[in-house]
Order: sequence, then C-alpha cells, then structure tokens
Amino acid sequence: MRERPAGQVPAIVVEGLRKDYGEVRAVDGVSFQVRRGEIYALLGPNGAGKTSTVEILEGHRRRTGGSVRVLGFDPGAGDRHFRERVGIVLQSGGMDAELTVREMVSLFAGFYAWPRDAAETIEQVGLAAKCRARVRTLSGGQARRLDLALALIGDPEVLFLDEPTTGFDPNARREAWDMIAGLRRSGTTVLLTSHYLDEVQHLADRVGVMSHGHLVEESTPDALGGRDVSGTVISFRLPARLRGSDPPAGPWDQPAGPAGEFTMHTDEPTRVLLALTQWACAHHAELPGLTVTRPSLEDVYLRITGQAGIGAGDGH
Amino acid sequence: MATEEARRSRPDVLLALGQVRYQLMLLLRSPLGFSLSIVFPLLLLVCLKVITPSHPVGGLPYAQWATPAMCAFCLLNACYVTVITSMVLAREEGTLKRLRGTPLPAWAYLAGRFGSALVTSVIACGVIIATGVAFFHVSIVWHASGYFAAAAFLGIACFFLIGAAVTTVVPKTDTALPIAFGTMLPLAFISDVFFSVSHPPAWLHDLASAFPVAPVAQAMEDSFNPATQSWPMPLSGLLVVLGWSAAAIAVIALAFRWEPGPAPAVRGLGRSPGWLSRSRHGP
Repeated sequence: MRERPAGQVPAIVVEGLRKDYGEVRAVDGVSFQVRRGEIYALLGPNGAGKTSTVEILEGHRRRTGGSVRVLGFDPGAGDRHFRERVGIVLQSGGMDAELTVREMVSLFAGFYAWPRDAAETIEQVGLAAKCRARVRTLSGGQARRLDLALALIGDPEVLFLDEPTTGFDPNARREAWDMIAGLRRSGTTVLLTSHYLDEVQHLADRVGVMSHGHLVEESTPDALGGRDVSGTVISFRLPARLRGSDPPAGPWDQPAGPAGEFTMHTDEPTRVLLALTQWACAHHAELPGLTVTRPSLEDVYLRITGQAGIGAGDGH
Repeated sequence: MATEEARRSRPDVLLALGQVRYQLMLLLRSPLGFSLSIVFPLLLLVCLKVITPSHPVGGLPYAQWATPAMCAFCLLNACYVTVITSMVLAREEGTLKRLRGTPLPAWAYLAGRFGSALVTSVIACGVIIATGVAFFHVSIVWHASGYFAAAAFLGIACFFLIGAAVTTVVPKTDTALPIAFGTMLPLAFISDVFFSVSHPPAWLHDLASAFPVAPVAQAMEDSFNPATQSWPMPLSGLLVVLGWSAAAIAVIALAFRWEPGPAPAVRGLGRSPGWLSRSRHGP
C-alpha cells in the first residue's frame, strides 16, 4: 500500500451541492470539505440526502447544481483517471455469484495499473479462508467484506464507504474498524456513511450531520452539537463534615436526603468544576461520587436531527 | 514505492482481453445460456430433418439448407437473446454499477461480452455443422467456406450490437426474455431461418429485407450451396446489416447505462448525450 502525505489540502470539496428528483429536493446547498488522510462521516436519518451526496461524489449520480471536486476531478465527468484513484463500497451492488472470492478480487485488480496484492487484500478483509469459495456461498457479512476488498484492490487515495459494516458480527466490525483505521495511517481519505453511531465515534475524525437535504452540523465526534462542553452533567455528594454547606457555582439540584447527590446541567463545566474543586480543596475535603458526564453521540444526533426514534439510515 | 504521479492507466487492450477472459469464465461457470444457444438449434435441425426427410430446398437436400440456417439461429440466440438477458440481469443486479466505479471503460466491458458471444457462436456453429455432416450427409462447400465465415461474423457483430442497444430500453429483468424472443422469433420466421419461403408476398419480402436477419441467414445458407461461386450477400443486404449495426452503435453511445432501473426517458429525467466512457449519471 502506498503511503500518502496527509495534510490540509482537501481531497473532497463540496460547495452548494443540490440534487432534485423531480419536484423533490433531496440535497439542498450542502457544502463541506474533507482533508487528505481524514476520515469524514456523514450521518443523517432516512431521506436526509446522504447517499445522494455520496453517489454524486462517486460519479454515480448527476447533480442538479453546485460544485463538487474529488482529488481535483469533477466526478460527474466520468474521467477514467478519477476512477483509478477512488474506491467505492456501494450500499448494495451485484457480484457474479459463480466466481470465487479470489477470482473476483483478481478480476478487479486487473482494472488498475498498480493494484494491491490480491492475496494480501483478501487476508486483510478476513476472507483468506474463503478465497476459493464461490460468491454465492458467502454470508451477508462475508459478501460485505468482499465489497471492501474490491474497493481496496486499486489502492485508492479516496475511499467511499456507504454503510460498510452493515451485516457484520461484532468481531468482524472490530476487524473492519482496525482495517479502516489502518487506511487512515497510510493517508487514505475516507468518506463514510454508517448506521452505527459507535462506528462513527470510533473511526471518524469529523462528522457532518444531514437532515432534510441540509448539512445541519459539522464537527468532530467528541464536539458534535457542542457535546464536549454543553449539556455536561456534574454530580457529587458532600462529605459528612460539609453537610449543610452551600457548594459554589450553583444553583445545584439539591439532594433529597443528607447523603444524596448534588447535580447540575451546565454548558460551562470547566468553570463550575474549577470553583467546586477549589472550594473542596480549601476545606481539605474529598467530594465522594464526583462525576462529569457528557451526552452520548446518539443523544446529540437525535437532538440535532430532531427525529428521536429514527435511525441513521438513508432512503435514496 | 510508486508515487501518485507515476500512476498510469492499464493499457486498453489488456482491459479488453481481461473482460473477454472474465466473460468466458462466467460462461463456463454458468453454462445454461451457452447450452441453449446450441441445444435449441440442434433440436430444431433434428426435428425438421425428421419431419421433412426428403423435402428439397432450392434444389438442395433439406439438411444441406437447414444446417447453415440453424447456424444462423445459433447466432441469434448467442448474440441477441443471450446478450439481452445477461446484460439486463447484470445491470439490474448492480454488477454494472459496481464496474462503473472502476476504471473499466464501457467499450472494454462490451468487448468482453462480444468475445463471449463470438466464442459461443463459433462453438455452436461447429456443433451444428458437425452434426449435419456426421448424421445428415451434409457437405461442407470448402470453396465458399470463407463466405460462410464472413457472413457469420457480420451476423455475430450486427446481432450483438442490436442486442446491446435493445438492453437500453428493457426496463427490468423479467421483461428481457419476452422482449428478446418476441422480437427475434417473428424475424427469424420471415427471414428464411426456420424454413425457406419460395415465393413470399412482396410485402413480406420487403419487410424481411429491411432487417439484418434475412441477408445474414441467406448468405450463410448460400455458402452451403455448391453452385455459389461469389460473395452471396447482395450489396443491398450488406448495407442493411451495416446500417443496423451503425444505428445500434449510436443507440449504445447515447443510451447505454450502468444503473439499475428504467431508462432515464422513462423516469422523465433528461440526459445529455455521452460517449461510451461517460457515465449516464454524470453532469
């Protein structure tokens, strides 16, 4: 696998992207950039426009308006040199059921001047034991791994992964995550959509959340929706000798009993914690049960999209 | 370690040869279409010979006429029916969409399909002729064998191109076979493939002459007539074959698509013309 320089040069630039299906506007003025070597995840509920956006970037769909560049190419121009430098894992795509895993990977390797080693790629996706098996005999998860192998065999600079681990068992997902993380180390740029928020949390350098065709939030997974600071919950109990005291930086939600927990939802956890811990230190006291918790990515995602109960799929 | 600047495309000829190999491998792994291309015409040859054992055609023994006619039927099966059904299946199952995400140009994919159709046709014609020679006293007219090969090649190319063009208007897999057979069989009937029409009505003759099956089939049949001394396809027939081929190439260039689903015109989405290397879904 070739090492590639990561950096601030964008591998993907999307500006004011629009996509209409008849009267329906599926993507409405979406703009974002993905730097080389970065793993960028697109999240959004069904029909948010994620797959339309990704398929436009892959060159599979025509855009209605806006500007798109991938490695400097307009994907819609169908340039062969563009397709030599990208790899695509489709949400669903056909394979020749009567060929073996090895034959499929070798066939796709033949499309590129500088393919990766077929055996090594098969092993990397965990299909070494199945390399002589016909495609029709593969389980759903194994077929998905073959998808990944076919996308990787051309040693792409940019990899599009549309829900790449759907159907994987937990072990296979972890292995796929390790492989994708390995791609990041080699400088491969990855644009990912996923059903799994823990996958995004684990893999993505940055996340864009789409809803109703708009990019409504963009951040790192840890800071999405301000979750690195906002909505932080601080809780503690007072030691016996300080009971009856009034902790600083309040107001705190008071405990029901003398040994109960004080809690606070705050957007300024640093300031509150500093005041609280200084106060405790000044009294030479430990604060039992002191915890600082942040909302999960799922909590923030559901709040942003305003569609609690709807998963991160896509209908297009 | 290669740099990004050193990336270069794989030579086109290697891509095309790889596709031929790939399609032949598919043919061997799933030989149903391959068998049908041979078994149907072979059965027809045997049945027609049994039904009309002493019926002469144009002064020739029946089998001497029917053997090359069934070879023409092989070409229609291998290059038209099979191409339509297998390419529509590949498109609707998403195989073509997956290939579209690779550097493989459309023409190389089509070259692979053509190679597969060519090999199937050659084998099928070989089996039919061998059966005729072995069991029905058919004689190969060696001095006209080059004409036979040339007419067959014209047919293979023309039927393949028309088949590939027809796929652009076939909306889904389960309509592919009815469309393929529904268009092929009537033409075969009026084009001297199943039986020789001695004195057809003028309108039927004109209708058959407007399509490429009749000139190809008749040239192949004439190539098995010992009296044939020169290229048996009249210029008008050759122009019909070439004209249909050119029209099919134009349709493929304008409307070939990799994505599953109905044609863009059916969906009401306008598409600008694109040559074979262009995505039907690119701006």
